[in-house]
Amino acid sequence: MTALTSHLKLLEAESIHIFREAAAQFRNPVLLYSIGKDSTVLLHLARKAFWPAKPPFPLLHVDTTWKFHDMIAFRDRTVKELGLDLIVHTNHDGLARGMNPFDHPPSVYTDVMKTQALRQALDTGGFDAAFGGARRDEEASRAKERVFSFRAAGHTWDPRLQRPEMWQLLNGRLGKGETVRAFPLSNWTEADVWRYIMLEKLEVVPLYFAAERPVVERGGQLLLVDDERMRLEPGEVPQRRRVRFRTLGCYPLTAAIESDATDLDAVVQETLSARVSERAGRLIDHDQAGAMEMKKREGYF
Amino acid sequence: MTLAALDEPIAAGTTFLAPDQKSEAILKLLTCGSVDDGKSTLIGRLLWDAAGVTDDQRAAILHDSHNRAVNGERIDFSLLLDGLVAEREQGITIDIAWRYFETARRRFVIIDSPGHEQYTRNMATGASHADLAILLVDARHGVKRQTRRHAAICNLVGIKKVILAVNKMDQIDWSESRYRAIEADFQALAGNFDFAEITTIPVAALTGANVVARSAEMAWHTGPTLLEYLEAVDPKVEAEDAPFRMPVQLVLRAAGDFRGYAGSVTSGAINVGDRVVDARSGLGATLQRIATMDGDRLTATKGDAVTLVLDTDLDISRGAVLSEIKRRPVNADVIEARLVWLSEKSFDPEAGYLLRTATDLTPVTSMSVSALVDFETLASAPAHDCAVNDIADCRILLGRATALDLFRDLPLTGNFVLVSAIDGATVAGGVITWAQTGAAAIGDNVLVLDRARLAGLCGDLGDSPADLAEFERRAQEVAILLRSAGVPVLIETDQ
Repeated sequence: MTALTSHLKLLEAESIHIFREAAAQFRNPVLLYSIGKDSTVLLHLARKAFWPAKPPFPLLHVDTTWKFHDMIAFRDRTVKELGLDLIVHTNHDGLARGMNPFDHPPSVYTDVMKTQALRQALDTGGFDAAFGGARRDEEASRAKERVFSFRAAGHTWDPRLQRPEMWQLLNGRLGKGETVRAFPLSNWTEADVWRYIMLEKLEVVPLYFAAERPVVERGGQLLLVDDERMRLEPGEVPQRRRVRFRTLGCYPLTAAIESDATDLDAVVQETLSARVSERAGRLIDHDQAGAMEMKKREGYF
Repeated sequence: MTLAALDEPIAAGTTFLAPDQKSEAILKLLTCGSVDDGKSTLIGRLLWDAAGVTDDQRAAILHDSHNRAVNGERIDFSLLLDGLVAEREQGITIDIAWRYFETARRRFVIIDSPGHEQYTRNMATGASHADLAILLVDARHGVKRQTRRHAAICNLVGIKKVILAVNKMDQIDWSESRYRAIEADFQALAGNFDFAEITTIPVAALTGANVVARSAEMAWHTGPTLLEYLEAVDPKVEAEDAPFRMPVQLVLRAAGDFRGYAGSVTSGAINVGDRVVDARSGLGATLQRIATMDGDRLTATKGDAVTLVLDTDLDISRGAVLSEIKRRPVNADVIEARLVWLSEKSFDPEAGYLLRTATDLTPVTSMSVSALVDFETLASAPAHDCAVNDIADCRILLGRATALDLFRDLPLTGNFVLVSAIDGATVAGGVITWAQTGAAAIGDNVLVLDRARLAGLCGDLGDSPADLAEFERRAQEVAILLRSAGVPVLIETDQ
């Protein structure tokens, strides 16, 4: 057994343990499926946790309507192949108000189309627990997250009132109005996710691999022109560049990187030698100091 | 791809850069000490020098360092760790932060815990996840009350290996004699505890001396640098032949009459064909299959998340502990334990509590505190109350028996958290020091909840396993209510 594989096995077993604890303790869980690489690993681990039964919960995708087209195609194919239940929720009230990532600051757009939409979907479904693919290595406030992260009524998160977690024991007993976000990938790193995808031969959205794509360069970031809704600024002409994504979100808010990594092997290699942290490509995180913490307090997963 | 394939060595020529360690794949490392001891600086330095910092983080730290005059124009390494806005504003660490990095030798998880006494509970929480602890002291001040407190908490939660990092050696002119005196103080202190290995290292986090790079100023230190030690240490302490335990998380049912018990092996190993026993009922069966999505396995060992299929149906559910035949857990309804109180609400003998062990949740019939640990002397002093951040010895009577081990023998089936029956909060974490069956003798004032007494509430229930489980659930809820009204209760589930 190589050293590396034993470390991934430990992480896999820990994640399965978390899935099973949550399924046993919560009445009505749901898996937040955002189509990216972390969701791919999350879903795979959920299948392992309950095999030969199917995962005893549906998937929930919060669709802002600004996801890359490749993502939606991948989502629908995955759900069909695995025979899983998928709930797609969009904040139609936000859409009706013309909310979009061009006319509104990233923080406002994200709050309405992602955070509020998520709260609506969780409330509508009556879900008392939601699995998410967040990792503690992603960002400073996530480094302080619990595995079972309790949210008060209204889905708010108070970092000062986090429930202590000791040893392997996960306490999912809910107080009045409380719900939980459960994070089975808490102790994984970005490199672990890619190594696992490679070892388990998991399929991921093609956008993670380098290809010639139409992009514009704006504020030092490369933005993909995914469809005709992309608004070009005066003088901007889309150019074809060899790019890929380290992280996938809403397309005008997620920057691509120039890369020649066209297969998993090259992506893993590039990730392990990366000198820039993953969420640097997420424009919403840079809006203000402590941006992620603020979003989380308001109910962003 | 099967799990077995995870075992295969990675083919030569692939670009699978991975740590090349020989022993444990992941080292979980607790760092404790107060902000004044330079704890965050030490970890920041470790991350910075061992290349766990990305370029954009590096640039942000350099930028932020100029906005905070804590270290003048120097780089403020602590900014790598204090993630919450409140923490950045106050310049202190409130909550545990998790950091991940790899060197060529090993994968590390750093659990950074706050030093202030008011956050003892956060430290205990962090410590419970660690294989090894770095206790930091300021070379100018040596071993202090808080060092004793940190050592006591590490000991309580089961950490067996500690490093005493004597920091700020630059502030005492790299004095070996001063360092030796602190080392001797700590060795004397550690005699109170069950640590298996104690290592002391003189460091200066701000300059990096003996963190990653060897210090020219302390040529007298012939031991390892901090990183050298961390890369080499084997955190494992348990016996090779530990008894098999698997607390049942879930019963999985699927097509083709599949019925399996899903759980994580918490100690020992089990092979297909071995006899296993449910400690609570005493019923035994033979292990027929170890089922996983990657194919059946012949053996499962500590840490494996598996599903066990038995040859006969034991009618057990979540909360049961599957064990080997010879060395079984105690089926206990009275325990003595040492715990750390985590809740802002003090211990209340009238309140309703539940005991959450590996996978079971048992109502507490009554609970009493017998002693508190004094952090100054480390001795236990008789007491009846306990409040947040206290370490207390207590005795707990359970509403029904549950399968347990002593923490010192098998930590993962010998630990627990105490849960408030009212709001679900985790109010304490503890380790079982003594456990016994039947010792909770039914006194005159204990109300026994059995089928006869709950006939009105449970008249719709029969004798099927599902109905018996439902009876137990209802009885537990009634017990919680009665307990919170001050009535001692015992649940009798025997049909």
